[in-house]
Amino acid sequence: MSTDLGAASNTFAATGSERGRSRQKGRGRDYGLVILAAPAVVLLLVFAYGPMAGLVVAFQDFNVADGVFGSPWTGLENFEFFFTSGGAGRILWNTLFLNVLFLAATLASGVLLAIMLNEIRGHVTKRFFQSVIFVPYFVSPIVVSIFLQAFLAGPSGRGGLVNDLTDVFGLPSVSWYTEPGPWPWILTAVKVWQMGGYMSVIFLAAITAIPEEVYEAGVIDGASRAQMALRITLPLLKPTAAILLVLGVGRIFYGDFGTIYAIVGDNGTLFSTTDVIDTYVFRALRTIGDFGTTAAIGLFQSVVGFVLVVVATLVQRRYAKETSLL
Amino acid sequence: MTIVEAGVRPRPVSTTPPTGPRARKRQRPEPFTVISYVGVIAFALICVVPFWMIIAGSLTAESSLSQRGYSFWPDPFSLDAYTTIFAGSRVWLSYGATLFITVVGTVIAVAATSGIAWVIARGLPWMSRPLAVFAYIPMLFTGGLVPMYILITQVLQLRDSWFAVILPLVIAPFLVFVQVSFFRATPQEILDAARIDGAGELRIFFQVVLPLSKPVIAVIALFYAVTFWNEWFHALLFISEPAKYPLQLVLQNLITSVANAADLGTTTAAPVYQMRLAMTVITIGPILLAYPFAQRYFVKGLTLGATKG
Repeated sequence: MSTDLGAASNTFAATGSERGRSRQKGRGRDYGLVILAAPAVVLLLVFAYGPMAGLVVAFQDFNVADGVFGSPWTGLENFEFFFTSGGAGRILWNTLFLNVLFLAATLASGVLLAIMLNEIRGHVTKRFFQSVIFVPYFVSPIVVSIFLQAFLAGPSGRGGLVNDLTDVFGLPSVSWYTEPGPWPWILTAVKVWQMGGYMSVIFLAAITAIPEEVYEAGVIDGASRAQMALRITLPLLKPTAAILLVLGVGRIFYGDFGTIYAIVGDNGTLFSTTDVIDTYVFRALRTIGDFGTTAAIGLFQSVVGFVLVVVATLVQRRYAKETSLL
Repeated sequence: MTIVEAGVRPRPVSTTPPTGPRARKRQRPEPFTVISYVGVIAFALICVVPFWMIIAGSLTAESSLSQRGYSFWPDPFSLDAYTTIFAGSRVWLSYGATLFITVVGTVIAVAATSGIAWVIARGLPWMSRPLAVFAYIPMLFTGGLVPMYILITQVLQLRDSWFAVILPLVIAPFLVFVQVSFFRATPQEILDAARIDGAGELRIFFQVVLPLSKPVIAVIALFYAVTFWNEWFHALLFISEPAKYPLQLVLQNLITSVANAADLGTTTAAPVYQMRLAMTVITIGPILLAYPFAQRYFVKGLTLGATKG
């Protein structure tokens, strides 16, 4: 859900302006509202705020027997361990590099697909194609991984569809799952396959919101469809793209665990290009069971991520004000 | 003369579909339109082909699969994988697990989300804004994997319980705010009328607001249902008893080792590759079957969250 922050920040703006309208006479009558909000408040307290408090284990030598309150404090030792272990640089680089690739590729494909979809005449036809390219979004990373295996590695050691194709053209077969080099691009292709339709739905909604008169002016001036797409639609999609970009930048420090772990799993030969913070933390927790260090990495990630989200949100607000289109 | 012309000029192009210039274009489409059609159709095919490959493969005999690899048409046709899988008990157990997680999870999620969303949408100064902030902060900052792991396994003792998969996901702040933006549009007059008739807050919510909000509840419920159906990360972390595995986790085990497919059936000589594909089809089947009816709600939810806020 990459649109969440935009929706939420707009909500705040509206909360302020509408508060006077429906003021209650006395608070005594509001107990019903307390009952309505209570389940969500309790769930958020336990499952969202609880883990935040639990981050103190990042400063502990945590062990199960003593628990969060009894484990000995170790200061910044856990952080030191991670940053001096040698793997940190590679993991941070992979996280940033892959996320930049994913973000750029999904945004670009979303814009492109939306502009092309917009050319399709007939409401029903357009709707049909939009639905078809939106389908991959609803498939779990596990299923995506199985799809990918059909293309890159066939049954019982066979080469898969891509290698079948390269055979036809006399090109050498590639053992994809032992070759770390191309994986950033393979994963990017997977992300485009899965998110291209999702992004295009958002951008197509933005295109639909462009006033018809702008295009009529274009028609009168004798513009071709291509010129109108390039000089009217594309510039007018900038604000939407900017918001999605800024939101993506805010998430850039969070690795895409689902996609990467489902596809790469524990295949160590691919780690050099695909291991990100989230998969590293997961593996460290599972295999070493080192709570302190993994929590320290998690805290580091959350803090940097938080700073990025806040900066991104501020940039977004500023941008939204300046364009006056939002 | 000039006055008449000036009066006519603003109207030559109407906003309704094909007038003069458009009608001409329909006869001879521009190159850009042609390219767009080709591009969209190509991408749509790329989206659909993997589904078809898996479905065709799941119906192809194991011997043919391992000799010739995947093909676009099942030859020779075989239902072995499906009969083997449905003869075993594992698929039923995991289907039950996924159904439980999806149904119970969606019900809890929709109830809790609707409740807090309405209170935020009510716009009461002492309650709504603090709650909005309270629901917003988890989008900015998360505790991460380790504290969640300790919470579920040590504090709540939910290991091997389906609730360990459900509870961390029942409030999606994004969907809370989608619903808030919908609730805001509830006509104030109807609420005032109910209030004058003496209805309390609970009564207004259940008898006035909810019946008016069926479309958005459908959107929210569908988004949650897909999330729960596809959820495997928390299952991977917290469910270690094979009899309690949801479908996605069973599938994940087939990725790590295709030999695990033999556990699904009752015989040892199982068509493992075919079974992996059949299991994939069984897992995505309900989503694909429901999608044609549900897709407009997803589009609606996404555009509501993206543009209106």
